[in-house]
Amino acid sequence: METVRLACRAMATRFELVLQGDDAVRLRAAGEEALAEIERLEARLSFYRASSDIGRINAGAGHAPVPVAPPVFHLLQQAARLHGLTDGAFDPTVGPLMRCWGFAGGAGHRPAPAALTAARALTGMHRVHLDPDRYTVAFERPGMLLDLGGIGKGYAVDEAVALLREAGVERALLHGGTSTVYALGHPEAAWRVALPHPATEAPLAVVSLTDEALSVSACRGKAFREDDLTYGHVLDPRTGHPVRGAVLAAVAAPSATATDALATALLVLGQDGLAAVEGYDDVRALIVMEDETTGTFEVLHQNLPPAPCALRQTLFPKTHTP
Amino acid sequence: MKPMKPIPAPIDAKRLTRRHFLKKSSLATLMGLSTAPDVVTDTGAGPDVPDAPRETARCAVIGFGSWGRELAATLQRMPEAEIVAVCDTYGVMRKRAEREVPGAATHEDYRVILDDPAVQAVFVATPTHRHRDIVVAALATGKHVYCEAPLAATLDDARTIARAARDAGDRLVFQAGLQYRFDPQYQSVSGFIRSGALGKPVLARAQYHIKNSWRRTSPNAAREKELNWRLDPAHSPGLIGELGIHQLDTARWILENRPMAVNGFGNLILWDDGRTLPDTIQTIFEFPGGVHLFFDATLASSFDGRYELFSGSDSTIMLRDSKGWMFKEVDAPMIGWEVYARKDKFYKEQGIALVANATQLDAQGQDPTADDPNAETPVFYAVKDFLDNVFYGPFESSAGYLQGFEATVMALKANEAVLGNQRIAFDEAWFSLD
Repeated sequence: METVRLACRAMATRFELVLQGDDAVRLRAAGEEALAEIERLEARLSFYRASSDIGRINAGAGHAPVPVAPPVFHLLQQAARLHGLTDGAFDPTVGPLMRCWGFAGGAGHRPAPAALTAARALTGMHRVHLDPDRYTVAFERPGMLLDLGGIGKGYAVDEAVALLREAGVERALLHGGTSTVYALGHPEAAWRVALPHPATEAPLAVVSLTDEALSVSACRGKAFREDDLTYGHVLDPRTGHPVRGAVLAAVAAPSATATDALATALLVLGQDGLAAVEGYDDVRALIVMEDETTGTFEVLHQNLPPAPCALRQTLFPKTHTP
Repeated sequence: MKPMKPIPAPIDAKRLTRRHFLKKSSLATLMGLSTAPDVVTDTGAGPDVPDAPRETARCAVIGFGSWGRELAATLQRMPEAEIVAVCDTYGVMRKRAEREVPGAATHEDYRVILDDPAVQAVFVATPTHRHRDIVVAALATGKHVYCEAPLAATLDDARTIARAARDAGDRLVFQAGLQYRFDPQYQSVSGFIRSGALGKPVLARAQYHIKNSWRRTSPNAAREKELNWRLDPAHSPGLIGELGIHQLDTARWILENRPMAVNGFGNLILWDDGRTLPDTIQTIFEFPGGVHLFFDATLASSFDGRYELFSGSDSTIMLRDSKGWMFKEVDAPMIGWEVYARKDKFYKEQGIALVANATQLDAQGQDPTADDPNAETPVFYAVKDFLDNVFYGPFESSAGYLQGFEATVMALKANEAVLGNQRIAFDEAWFSLD
């Protein structure tokens, strides 16, 4: 049994890939193609590149429908579905709100009420019109922004895994920035991935994965204090305000695209997050809530850490498996 | 005071004419008059579709590997293009095409596409040694052809392609995939250098560094062998042919000369997996006037990626990632606008950013010192030019059969020099199509 490790830098993070099989030369070749796909998708999805599909949408979709490549269009349709599924808690149009709160490249500040109202009018995936006949994207009004930062890494992982399968790889683990991981096949029983506790970093749960993705979102990083209140950078797209939802959310499911978006959404939804996924037996989820007054943590979960049970309903049918 | 446009653009009468037509076309689109081609003479259609009202160019992509996918994705964001068919000999790629190019027919045999009179233009992105038969047959059936560079893996094949393109030149467009010739930033810098910005040209340097085995794999053994044509000495144009040809062409374009000789060195250093093809090469191209281009490429180290650099007695100009910088000698004369230009730091050197279309950006209220927010990929500009030519041409292309052929000859001979660790003087006869 040979093990090959590869890595690349893309989407402002580091992707790492471990492959196992009989032939190291061929494993590396397959892995290189998968990582090249991730780099290619970055060029297609980057918020920061004018020539990416997202760059062209943001520059033009406020004025006229913008044609995009069908795979990007399908990703936007998935994003819209996830927006609906999470009752708007996952929303890739949250850019104007992030800017308004000063979280886009700054430390954050409380916005003026008028500015907040204006930003809220520019937020909402339901204001993005997708025309499936022409593969075009149009914004309801100028000034809106699409940013696939909350779903793009997961999508890239899914696409890379599809190429690994096409190349005949049977065992691999691929992660993007440690926030989303996909386990292809399994070495013995399953790939085992540990979730760190948000406060202590000690393992909170060990998740067994086989042909499954796991994403983790945590409420860390940017925050500011004003008038004795702490404002974190997790914004609820529905209210336009920072939320004290969960401090950590983890989601396991067959699609990394879905887990990436759902982990973000569950962080926003907090206590109510499990309700969004409870109808799906191929989705496992875990949410950590913090009681700030007592400093204690409460863990809520759906089938996590327990082993997956039989499928009743599938969130995303596997359309990309050859 | 506003920054002045740094780079005078050369005026080409034919391009001006074409832009003029385009302006009419886009105005018509704006007004909802979708029969825009009425304003131009119908010269671009293949013989089998004489009077079809044409809003879009019906295109086919032959070869749906990584570059074929890129070409398809580029075509998909152009309203004037419609991909009607995709060809690949491998089923997995055809499945991928069904996902990525919904609505297009998929075929295993390219001849089905050539037999279809509805197809006007084909994009050939197969392995290099497979180009010849496809391109020659495509031109013979009246298709406009966009052929990836290098044109072929042998001089004879390249000459056959160039001759066929030349002979069909009054009816059909042929464009080689030398996409940087169409990138506004490259065009701008090329004009700037040719206007004397370097002072006396001294030397040129270019590199292409990646860390990648260049090997491909497939569960299907026959497919795997076919996929690894780049490692097969019988077919591979080597690193200089597959990676370096664009940079070599840029040097030939900017220095306005063909090299007289090439010295090559090649070694297999890292990927010792049974292959014989060198993974690390150095080449020195001798241009007239004692100016040498040093080009090196490796698959074993990615340091500093890819760039081209032209040094002269007054300044050095670097091109990388479709961006340009000028590094001035302290004793070089002032040009004026550099005071206002953006400066980027490169260790101890200060690069003056060269921004194409600076005055246009300024007029649109955008920062003329920032990179162009409307910038597209080089291949987008190349495909756009090709389609313009299909609609309104055929005009002589900036990367026609001659430029494609010349670049291919230089690259293939350089590969020969690398494989033999030798110096090869270029023979004028190699560049002749007669």
